[in-house]
Amino acid sequence: MSLQTRRTGQLAFLLAPVSLFLLVFFVAPLSIMLAYSFLEPGLYGGVVWEFYHWNYGRVLGWADGVLEEFEPVYLSIFLGSLRLALLTVAVCILVCYPAAFWVSRLPERWKTLCLFLITLPFFASLIVRLYAWILILRPSGFLNHVLLEAGLIDRPLQMIYTEGAVVTGMVYIMIPFMFLPIYASVEKLDTSLVAASQDLGATRFQTFRRIVLPLTLPGIVGGSIIVFIPSLGNFVVPSLLGGAKVLMIGNLIEQQFLYARNWPFGAALAMLVMATVMLFLLAYVTLVLRRDDVPRTG
Amino acid sequence: MTRKSMLARRLLTAYGILFFVLVYLPIALILAYSFNANPVNMMVWSGFTLDWYCSIFGLETELSQQILYVESTDALLSAVRNSLAIALTTTAVSTVLGTATALAIARYRFRLEKFYQTLMFMPMIMPDIVLGIALLIFFISIGIDLGILTIMIGHCTFLTSYVFIVVSARLAGMDRSLDEASADLGANEWTTFRRVVLPLIMPGVVGGALLAFIISMDDLVITYFIAGVDSTTLPVYIYGILRRGIKPEINAIAVLMLSFSIAVAALGLYIRSRRR
Repeated sequence: MSLQTRRTGQLAFLLAPVSLFLLVFFVAPLSIMLAYSFLEPGLYGGVVWEFYHWNYGRVLGWADGVLEEFEPVYLSIFLGSLRLALLTVAVCILVCYPAAFWVSRLPERWKTLCLFLITLPFFASLIVRLYAWILILRPSGFLNHVLLEAGLIDRPLQMIYTEGAVVTGMVYIMIPFMFLPIYASVEKLDTSLVAASQDLGATRFQTFRRIVLPLTLPGIVGGSIIVFIPSLGNFVVPSLLGGAKVLMIGNLIEQQFLYARNWPFGAALAMLVMATVMLFLLAYVTLVLRRDDVPRTG
Repeated sequence: MTRKSMLARRLLTAYGILFFVLVYLPIALILAYSFNANPVNMMVWSGFTLDWYCSIFGLETELSQQILYVESTDALLSAVRNSLAIALTTTAVSTVLGTATALAIARYRFRLEKFYQTLMFMPMIMPDIVLGIALLIFFISIGIDLGILTIMIGHCTFLTSYVFIVVSARLAGMDRSLDEASADLGANEWTTFRRVVLPLIMPGVVGGALLAFIISMDDLVITYFIAGVDSTTLPVYIYGILRRGIKPEINAIAVLMLSFSIAVAALGLYIRSRRR
């Protein structure tokens, strides 16, 4: 047996199990979901094997008016989720950027400790971290208790079951994913460039906008993508902290599968989430990663 | 240093400290509440108690006799058992699959390398809910009953990617001349793998396995869709309780869950620091 055939054999041995596994349990399920999104919903929860594009029409605005109506509420929930996910990203950046800056200037020992403290919540149970925010935000919760005791308000504020509560919860669980990429790029920042800019008479704001921000942008954009993906289709945070008041696309998908039993429509909604995520990823890969390959001149 | 920049630096320090306090405040709050003896209002401290911890294990206590909070210790414990069984199995399977793929990509030149790299990233970037319902449709349409088995399969699809990434990172920093030396000294490929490569990538493999274990124990969204009626895991069980209301015992359960995952994470960090 030649070396070449032996190595091919070894390669096949290493890759065959994972190929088979992902083909059957990852590629096939996604393909079936794609197919389902173009099938007609059956009367009692099943599907009819007919090509049926009205599942998308119902959301995006075309309908025949006989089988399906265009229902603007779905589109507005979708756009609302997009808005909340982008808001989560923005708040995460604002919260994490100064903190990452601060940590990057600490002495080495403290840096290690802070990085450990930031990573630790990632390992702590997600549901527990969200539960903590129910305790903080509900009418008889921690924040209302503190505000009442301090005499700042005289009756509990409605904080839970608002968009603010949902964004707060999402920001809280996403903090490590935004902090670490930003920290990585802030840490690499060449401080002599900042000093040079200031020596040349730039104001603090100019230095930040022209030197610091562009150099740390890759970290910000990378973190934004990582935060955006799980935020858009999230249904756990809105169902715990948004209640019936704040509905996101994830809740709508859940309803289609567990209560309404309109699977093709749910599959179409999930495809929309996936398509949006892919669009953002594609933009990231073409705009940001591509630009880094080209050496900067001038 | 100018006064203005001194002030800016102080403000930044104050913010940095506030940031870490706010990250840990919610967790500290749960910890404090879990020892609060007040059964009606958690916000008002009425003494230290371990009763909530006792009551989740079904022990009789004064507080739980007054107000029966825990719905069923049996249901809770069976959820814990399911979670552990699933996490242990999926960790084993995904560690083998992920490590094999990482080895293949790092050690061999082949035409589909880029394809496999992209394929391994896909389950990680797929939103949880999309993967969850895709698996739900798949299992139902090919007629597999939802239960422990479907959860295990579902977890392996994305955990393999996590192990792959951790082990790949380890392989990327590895010195190839060591296994060339081993071959020059007459060891065959299997011996080289077993005696040289495997010990060197072991910290990566263990790290990937621990990460997979923690994520599997904690997964809610995917499990939620593909768990059958009587195969609840711990996160899904807690989620169900929280949707119906809040009970003081939840604090105690939450503290135990936090301690467990922090212990596993600490074990991972310890192993990494020793093997470096």
